[in-house]
Amino acid sequence: MKPDIRWLDDPQTFRVGQLPAHSDHKIYANVNEMERQESSLCQSLNGTWQFAYSVNPMSRPADFYAEDYRADHFDEIQVPCHIELAGYDKLHYTNVRYPWEGKVYRRPAYALGQDRTEDGSFSEAEYNPVGSYRKVFDLAEGLRGKRVCICFEGVEQAVYVWLNGQFVGYAEDSFTPSEFDLTPYIKDQGNVLAVEVYKNSTAAYLEDQDFFRFFGIYRNVTLYAKPKLHIEDLWVKPCLSEDLTKGSVDVQIQISQPPSEVTQAKGQVRIALQDADGRLIGEVIEDAALAVKASFDVEDQVTLWENKNPYLYQMIITLEDERGNVVEVVPCAVGFRHIEIRDKVIFFNGRRLIINGVNRHEWSAEGGRCITMQDMEYDIECFKRNNINAVRTCHYPDQMSWYDLCDRNGIYVMSETNLESHGSWQKETTEPSWNVPGSVPQWKEAVIDRARSNYETFKNHPSILFWSLGNESYAGDNIEAMQRFFKEKDDTRLVHYEGVVHNRAYEDTISDVESRMYAQPADIIEYLENEPKKPFILCEYMHDMGNSLGGMKSYIDLLDRFPMYQGGFIWDYIDQAVYVQDQVTGRKVLRYGGDFDDRSSEYEFSGNGIVFADRTEKPAMQEVKYYYGLHE
Amino acid sequence: MDCMNKLKVIVGDTMIGVRGDNFSYIFSGARAGMESLVRDGKEWLYRTPTPTFWRALTDNDRGSRFAHKSGMWLGADCFVKCVNFTAKIDDAPIEMPLSPANNAYGGDVEAERATVSFVYETITVPATQVTVTYEVYAGGEIHVHVHYEGREGLPELPVFGMRFIMPTCADRYRYEGLSGETYPDRMAGGIPGVYEIEGLPVTPYLVPQDCNMHMQTKWVEVYRSTVQDNSYKENKETGIRFLAEDGKDFAFACIPYTAMELESATHQEELPPARRTVLTVLGAVRGVGGIDSWGADVEAPYHISAEQDIDYGFWIGGV
Repeated sequence: MKPDIRWLDDPQTFRVGQLPAHSDHKIYANVNEMERQESSLCQSLNGTWQFAYSVNPMSRPADFYAEDYRADHFDEIQVPCHIELAGYDKLHYTNVRYPWEGKVYRRPAYALGQDRTEDGSFSEAEYNPVGSYRKVFDLAEGLRGKRVCICFEGVEQAVYVWLNGQFVGYAEDSFTPSEFDLTPYIKDQGNVLAVEVYKNSTAAYLEDQDFFRFFGIYRNVTLYAKPKLHIEDLWVKPCLSEDLTKGSVDVQIQISQPPSEVTQAKGQVRIALQDADGRLIGEVIEDAALAVKASFDVEDQVTLWENKNPYLYQMIITLEDERGNVVEVVPCAVGFRHIEIRDKVIFFNGRRLIINGVNRHEWSAEGGRCITMQDMEYDIECFKRNNINAVRTCHYPDQMSWYDLCDRNGIYVMSETNLESHGSWQKETTEPSWNVPGSVPQWKEAVIDRARSNYETFKNHPSILFWSLGNESYAGDNIEAMQRFFKEKDDTRLVHYEGVVHNRAYEDTISDVESRMYAQPADIIEYLENEPKKPFILCEYMHDMGNSLGGMKSYIDLLDRFPMYQGGFIWDYIDQAVYVQDQVTGRKVLRYGGDFDDRSSEYEFSGNGIVFADRTEKPAMQEVKYYYGLHE
Repeated sequence: MDCMNKLKVIVGDTMIGVRGDNFSYIFSGARAGMESLVRDGKEWLYRTPTPTFWRALTDNDRGSRFAHKSGMWLGADCFVKCVNFTAKIDDAPIEMPLSPANNAYGGDVEAERATVSFVYETITVPATQVTVTYEVYAGGEIHVHVHYEGREGLPELPVFGMRFIMPTCADRYRYEGLSGETYPDRMAGGIPGVYEIEGLPVTPYLVPQDCNMHMQTKWVEVYRSTVQDNSYKENKETGIRFLAEDGKDFAFACIPYTAMELESATHQEELPPARRTVLTVLGAVRGVGGIDSWGADVEAPYHISAEQDIDYGFWIGGV
């Protein structure tokens, strides 16, 4: 397989050589490792890498991936980190308009006609920066002799990967893991990993989120080894009896073994379910096969998972070889909860669901969207002390650890797919003449793939109550197909999408809820008093830009008036601003759009948090805490 | 009331002085207001207090184009014109304090109450008037009454009240009211109590804007130890108290900047070094809104009509 730079221009090429998306379960070589949460099967490649920046594809060091390439002239960069924050490319904040608007004329391939392929749109662009990364590494002891894969948790926005001079694959979708099998080329020592990251590709049309436009490897890079038996994918589906007292768990496990093992997998799969105190509830032992299914009943009264009592059972799956040796141990948190729409009202564990929510971008003033575990833990504590019970991962999937934290802390998650294309239809009025994904066939698989990655990666998290198809991308056949995908895969959650209210032709086939943003209270009342079809939520409201958040009462009062009004997500959690040293005062100060000579910009419009960019609470937080404390 | 507690009134040229045991005040026609407020040997006024009609635009104000509708109040706030100055000793009116009229008074004018009133005319179109009346009592307490005359055709006000600029930064302030920064449409979460604030914090919104409002305040005390007086060596902290009328409350903000200073900065670091205390004591505050930041107005109950009268008052005294 040979890489082709024209993949950047083709919306139909978005994953090459990439492993299928799978559940985000952790793997350990034995129980002891699991208890210490240190896996000898994983090796972090975070740290210092070699790096070269080029302003466009034509000027990039195209042969940098060769094993014998002399990279002496390369700089050093930290991984993970945005390339802009490392000082190479200009920081740029823009909202709706695509970042190239006013600089270069572009239209999405095929949007204005099947012959409009827009060749060279990105691959020959005068400005389309490239980051060329190299990392030389030895394989850690625990990975040697095994199948070895690499997981990029987040690379923005299009990436080509080589190992030891051999092309491994290509990926888009900046916000879900991209994994490649390195087994054919990996060595114990002296591996040369080469990663070429492009700032823009056709993915740019789908990633027009209202935020700073970054590129680079901005989340963890990890090698992991697959023992001779390895869980590729896990679907732990908790089910509840109608009266919510009895629980059962359906488990589906996909197991792989090295291709050299010609026979069927041999060995055993031991699946144990424990309660939160570690008491064994049930255990099933099956012969290892490529697909294993099992079922558990929780005999006693099941303890439900919910905001105030996020009770988690623990499943531990142990793979043993034919001699009984443990080769892999996988834990998985299990939460029993039930969400459904009954009489046009969303019920959660038998009670009407009230969303006291907030939208959250991943952000830190130091690292941009490269945030730390401490940041995430702080955010969860901040939610809890202020009665916030729900989060929308606007407008892309977050780091994997965030979902674990939400499971453990009872935060209801609307897990949003990485899709936002408002620049393609939100003009002075709604003008979708070149909207993507729309109903353009060539854009369908790319967005289905984004939905699939969201679903497959996070499906086991009890905290996720809603899948969201994306944000502000209008509505057409392709978003309808995303909805269908989720519905076919998962009957335990609801599907959310706001954009269909701008194209009601799809109203019956997109979104289980009537979702709006920034609707005035009077407009909500009008909807709810006129034969509403669906329960109503506000996926964005209370735009907390600067000194704001006045008038929240008018929204909270609706909760008492209309059972079908089920709350909303405040816009948003944290101001997006960047720390820099002020040239005049020398002080460490916060800067926003336009402060980097970036044009065109939306300036301070990214500062809408209920916490400041340094995570201190804005004064309005006491209002949030008060109103979100009124309805559980 | 015995004579020990009587006020001494000095009917000077263009100004009226009022003195007592540990206070001395000067009301000036030339400066169009109260020019000096000394308590415990410390000056509390940098410039004469004036009516205030403006708040630094919030992001929502910008989004809803509030300034396009009400921007003339910014000019009114900056350029205050005094059109009348009257005074009374007890209940007896005195003529404009200028010689020869004031030659008659001499040095021993005593009173139980001195009343000084300033009428300000706004530069709005149409114009309207604000009357600020200071009544000084024998113990040194000052009652301030503020009357805004509503005028048809005037656009909505962002705030209305009095602005006091103190010569140096306060060390701290205390108040009885609601916790945190509150506005009429954002105060349900405020917890009533007595709060002490160190220094003069400015809420660090990305773009400096109106901030630190405190609704439903019974009293606020401002404490300073620094002065501009070169001969004052003590650096002793003393305080001044602004107290609401019985059973009523006011709103206040206490920060080192005027609305204009906040308005001029696009980042926190562009604000000048903090050197004054700007205390606004307000009789009316517009809500901040929150529906969106690109057009939605503040909800109707939280607007301030400029077509209706606004009356409020408060006391100034020692802590």
